[in-house]
Amino acid sequence: MSRREVVRIDDVTKDVRPSFGVRRKRVLHGISFSVREGEIFGFVGPNGAGKTTTLKILVGLIRATSGRAQVLGHDVGETAFRRHVGFLPENPYFYDYLTGRETVDFYAKLCGMSRARRSARGDELLAQVGLADAADARVRTYSKGMQQRLGIAQALVHDPDVVFLDEPMSGLDPIGRKDVRDLILRLRDQGKTVFMNTHILHDVELVCDRVAIIVGGRIRYEGAIQDFIEAGERQTDVLVAGMPAHAGPALEERFAAQLCGVGDRIEVRVPEKHVDGALALLLEGGAQVVSVSPHRVSLERIFLNAVEESRR
Amino acid sequence: MTVLRGWVCIWAIATNTVRESVRSKLLYGLLFFAVLLIGGGAVIANLSYVENDRILQDVGMGSVRLFGVAIAILVGINLIHREVDRRTVYTILSKPLSRAEFLVGKFLGLTLTIWLQMGIMGLAFVAVSIMTGAPLGASHLAFFVLTGCELALVVAIATLFSAFTTPVLATFFTTGVWVVGHASRELRDLGASADSPALEWTTWLIHRVLPDLESFNLASEAAHLLPVTASDWLLPMLYGAGYLTLVLFAAVALFERRDLR
Repeated sequence: MSRREVVRIDDVTKDVRPSFGVRRKRVLHGISFSVREGEIFGFVGPNGAGKTTTLKILVGLIRATSGRAQVLGHDVGETAFRRHVGFLPENPYFYDYLTGRETVDFYAKLCGMSRARRSARGDELLAQVGLADAADARVRTYSKGMQQRLGIAQALVHDPDVVFLDEPMSGLDPIGRKDVRDLILRLRDQGKTVFMNTHILHDVELVCDRVAIIVGGRIRYEGAIQDFIEAGERQTDVLVAGMPAHAGPALEERFAAQLCGVGDRIEVRVPEKHVDGALALLLEGGAQVVSVSPHRVSLERIFLNAVEESRR
Repeated sequence: MTVLRGWVCIWAIATNTVRESVRSKLLYGLLFFAVLLIGGGAVIANLSYVENDRILQDVGMGSVRLFGVAIAILVGINLIHREVDRRTVYTILSKPLSRAEFLVGKFLGLTLTIWLQMGIMGLAFVAVSIMTGAPLGASHLAFFVLTGCELALVVAIATLFSAFTTPVLATFFTTGVWVVGHASRELRDLGASADSPALEWTTWLIHRVLPDLESFNLASEAAHLLPVTASDWLLPMLYGAGYLTLVLFAAVALFERRDLR
């Protein structure tokens, strides 16, 4: 049984007028796609592709020039449906004179939550995003990563059904990124729909069910991540230090490896089936293996092809 | 229920705006100098041989108006612009509140802040008057009430300009409206006495379109302890409320159309 559509964009265009200029510039060229209930949808594109513009249209911050955008069956110009929607903007900013706890409480008030519920929910969320110890510190003392976590807390404060996240891993350290990925997966387990803007393909591969690639204001690809996994050749990135000179040609010749890097550290990308052999060769040669990370080349290839096509 | 929810949102934005002001050093600085000037009126009054009480109270009331308007313009012109510039507005407007509720909340918050500051300046004024033996009457109360109304109107005008233009232009426009709003009666009378019908019509139009801020000015009545009738209070208050509503409607209409890029 197919799940209902919670986000629907039909032939949406957006024209903007530059700060110094009369001629309008089209930044979205009739894009259409939909997101179904309970899925994690990755909206992927390079910087300036139109990801944030699309997201801002969906949360009502800007208006589409033409076309139709709906969330939960409501036109995005309406207000009431937003009680079921959470939004984390890119690099969120908050009132720096408030504490973390006051900030979450303020947003909860705007969502019409009772005092008792606000208090309980605030404590729960601040603990969930790892800000329990800093809850009573002013936001002006928060690092970028802490502000990002606070942004996630405010987006979830009213327990929304649909969550829009614009670059949710931005400014986070590796532990923070993992925490956020786990949080997104937990949201899906709770039946929420997550719409995630990002240009980091690794994050998309790890958490998303479906993806749309936007380049130059046009949707270039839309499909399920599963399709990439099945179709794509799995590769692994091995980061090594102190690689002996003879190892490079041997890796390329025997394991179809691609090497890149400068100085002491070199990233070796090898097909998954050759990882054991490549690692053995490297270790025998005295190289130090810094990290090994699985990598699916298919999404990246499609993404790069889409960018390449748009440039032609 | 929806109306009640709307007011809850407006109140949340307003109280947060008051909290921002209470935690702002700039406003404390302005308030300190205002209270200092009100107190300094006693020193200035002592320099004169005649009408010491009047000089004392003129300086006090002038300080209240001057600092009130300075705060209304300085903070008001940034009211919306800063929210958009700092991008705090993104997260707020993604919540279930309308742009109108947000804008009215910001306006209400700043107006309450200014009234709170006027209350403190008023207490300083009363304290200095009592200490120096200067007389106080109902006309002084009327002065403070109507100055409060005028400042609310100035905040609304600053909010209107803040909703669609830069702080520099908003300062220029709001200050211009305040200055011409106080001079529009004289302008109208000047135009009426001129030979040119075009000038007469223009000055009449300026007087009608821009707020007649002199109607809120009871400083002279208060300084001379003249009797103040109910209509002296109520008519300007009604006029102010009507004008303020129109200005806020215009501000909302402009802010609703704006793309928050």
